[in-house]
Amino acid sequence: MEGLNEEGQWIVLMGLLVAVAMFFLALIVNQSALVGQTTAEGVLEFPKNDIRDLRTEIFDCVDEFGDTVDADVKKDIVVISLERKNAVVDFSVDPEVEISGGRWLHPVKIHYNNGVTVYDETVYY
Amino acid sequence: MVNDTGQLYTMEGVAAGLIMLLTAYIVISTTSVYTPGDTHITDMQLEQLGSDVLAMMDTPDTETGVSDLEVFVDHNNATGFEATFLDYCNATTGGAVDSLHMSATIYYQDGDEVKEYLFVPADDSWTGRESAVRATRWVQLDERSRGPPLDDRARAVLVEVLIWRD
Repeated sequence: MEGLNEEGQWIVLMGLLVAVAMFFLALIVNQSALVGQTTAEGVLEFPKNDIRDLRTEIFDCVDEFGDTVDADVKKDIVVISLERKNAVVDFSVDPEVEISGGRWLHPVKIHYNNGVTVYDETVYY
Repeated sequence: MVNDTGQLYTMEGVAAGLIMLLTAYIVISTTSVYTPGDTHITDMQLEQLGSDVLAMMDTPDTETGVSDLEVFVDHNNATGFEATFLDYCNATTGGAVDSLHMSATIYYQDGDEVKEYLFVPADDSWTGRESAVRATRWVQLDERSRGPPLDDRARAVLVEVLIWRD
């Protein structure tokens, strides 16, 4: 290697740096698919819309029946939730109580459990 | 004395090391290839869209009013349901409309069994291999004479919509 010419060293070095930079950029692009997947699966797994919809339905029941919710309608909600949504659902509506001076509202207890997400709420409606 | 005669050899060694590391990484990481279809991102967006459309249809115009969704289910108006649903979910802010398709099934309780009936059948674009997603909505029906399969009593039924993109 007596005749080794070192004049091109910087070009080689710069080429290497560019290659390493491109490698890391490719790595980021590669990881973005995984990040998107975990995000999407997190959103799909969390039953946000199911719980919202269940609450709306229970409030519709309270609108219609007050604190004496029809036993058949309650059974509809419990049985169909278990069969189609894989969720154990229970709710109860108590007689109106006075809230913060003159407002009479029903305490509604809602229980939801689909094995991954558990949701319990007492709401005055 | 320090001199720089060995510099190029050092560079070569570093480069060779990086290339070997890169090769090892690529070999290991290519055992699984992720495509956008595997990552459920489009499924998540479609499911959210479907849930939102059903929520819109279940919102009455006035506080004491009855929602479109409840009227469609109560009066077994499948064509109205399909038209409204597709109108809402294919709407775009500009350009061509989206190409989403749907079918709908209603689940209800009969005795101690949960039964179903096909509310809106799938159109011709359905092959069975679509990546369809499911959106559901509860509908509260008042006591009314409406005939089979939903008899007269007040009941809660579950509307399940399958949505897919053509």
